[in-house]
Amino acid sequence: MSGNIRGFGYLESLPPVTFRRLYQQPATALAIFRRMLPNLAKTIVTTLLYNESPVALGDLEALVRPESYREREDAFSKLRRLHIITENNLDVSLDPVFKKNFRLALTGGGDHHSFGVPCNTEDKKKITVQFLDDYATRQFEAILHYMVGTHNEVKPSKGVITLLTKGGLMERYGAGSVATITKNGFSFLLQDGNPQIWALLIQYLEMSEELGMEQTDVLHFLLMLGSLELGQAYSVNTLTETQKLMLADLRDYGVVYQRKSTSDRFYPTRLATTLTSESGGLRSASASMSSAMVKDAEEGKGFIILETNYRVYAYTDSPLQIAVLNLFVKLSTRYPNLVSGRISRRSIQEAIKMGITADQVIDYLSAHAHPQMRKSLVTLPPTVVDQIRLWQIEGERMRTTTGFLFKDFHSTQEFEEVAKYAEELGVLKWKKPSKRCMFVTRHEQIADWLKRRASAQQQQQQSKKVAT
Amino acid sequence: MPRAVKGVLIECDPSIKAIILKIDKDSGHGYIVEDLDDETLVVKEPKLPELKLRLEKILERTQMLERDEESDPENPG
Repeated sequence: MSGNIRGFGYLESLPPVTFRRLYQQPATALAIFRRMLPNLAKTIVTTLLYNESPVALGDLEALVRPESYREREDAFSKLRRLHIITENNLDVSLDPVFKKNFRLALTGGGDHHSFGVPCNTEDKKKITVQFLDDYATRQFEAILHYMVGTHNEVKPSKGVITLLTKGGLMERYGAGSVATITKNGFSFLLQDGNPQIWALLIQYLEMSEELGMEQTDVLHFLLMLGSLELGQAYSVNTLTETQKLMLADLRDYGVVYQRKSTSDRFYPTRLATTLTSESGGLRSASASMSSAMVKDAEEGKGFIILETNYRVYAYTDSPLQIAVLNLFVKLSTRYPNLVSGRISRRSIQEAIKMGITADQVIDYLSAHAHPQMRKSLVTLPPTVVDQIRLWQIEGERMRTTTGFLFKDFHSTQEFEEVAKYAEELGVLKWKKPSKRCMFVTRHEQIADWLKRRASAQQQQQQSKKVAT
Repeated sequence: MPRAVKGVLIECDPSIKAIILKIDKDSGHGYIVEDLDDETLVVKEPKLPELKLRLEKILERTQMLERDEESDPENPG
């Protein structure tokens, strides 16, 4: 993936202090548990949750089959990075703040209002789920349309445009000129709905800091939205000042709906309620969505036919879809309900120059493949898929990987052990035993492991001394 | 304890690597962290875009990329 667009994963890099403050809200603790932890880590958390005393690390590790070693290390590393578990020697316990509030989230109680306060009074005009879906679609599509420069009756607000330019998705050359889409913007367009909305919200989070808004307040609100109920009105009165300010911006993105800015209630839309759910948001739920954000494999709403002769037929009249296709297809003919064109070396290499990867193109094509294409064993013609990949390699003169070089190992044995561990974790990229050098994509787990190994060795030596 | 250095691993042809070595030498060794072997080296991460740009420029001068014919058999001309 293009590394320039930060998505939900960005939250992992927040400082420990922020996490401690985040866990003060039950809704946030639940959201992080739900969205950020792999299943195995969830099992570990639930095991620890109602244990008053710490549990030995060995006992926890014994829960996992030895062959799932890699998943186990992954789960523990995630829990450590999110500061959910605290370790004292070899005893593990949950972070007390997290523990208290996660329990509250599960069993209820307290007057923290962290799950929002529903409005009990009847709204004068009834707001239906359908209405909210339409509203969210209209607002969010307006942003996408604006990015590709198609005409649309709804124009995004000034705040949205500032967000897009600040986030590097669009660029303005000189004041007053029209903003144009950037490389990052193109890769953004090819993403699914949920990563898209998170990319915008993370950008918003960064901007809010510049505006002097409290970062944890903003995050609390964003993560709380994920646990609200669609179609239910919530009271504005219990929100903090920062959060009230946020409502105006979130309304622009289609994440919440308010009839008037002075209204004392707000409705979360599907974009909000699916923020922290595990599987994708709007795409499967709303059949009315006919845009690039919809991944509609199940409903058979795909519209693209790709032939073995590189010809592309797309049954669509949506300017947005056509604009997205135009990024990597040389379109030649347009009929009322169909556009046709061809994928060529040049069209793919131009897309690559704009920062789109071959995999993104292939993913997009297979996600939107016409039901007729799905009838065959392989959705896309393999020759075309291979050729698209080859065209990408052709333009690349070097392969680059960001990461860490480990060197200065004491012994070949130490080197081999670390290399084996790194390989099991799936982070080993390159190694050269003769130089005792290796390159890994992530170093935290290895550093951890080395430290624990060193202290274990020390203890061994000490006990040996005592024995003699 | 072994040491870890942050950087970008580059894997490329020996010919490309030779050019990178030259760029590094001409600029007073500002790019390369570690020269690993004929086809691999590690460079400083913030310097990567600059390195790519300079490499691109040198290659433009030395190589003539053939134009690909965009002919379509069914739509001649």
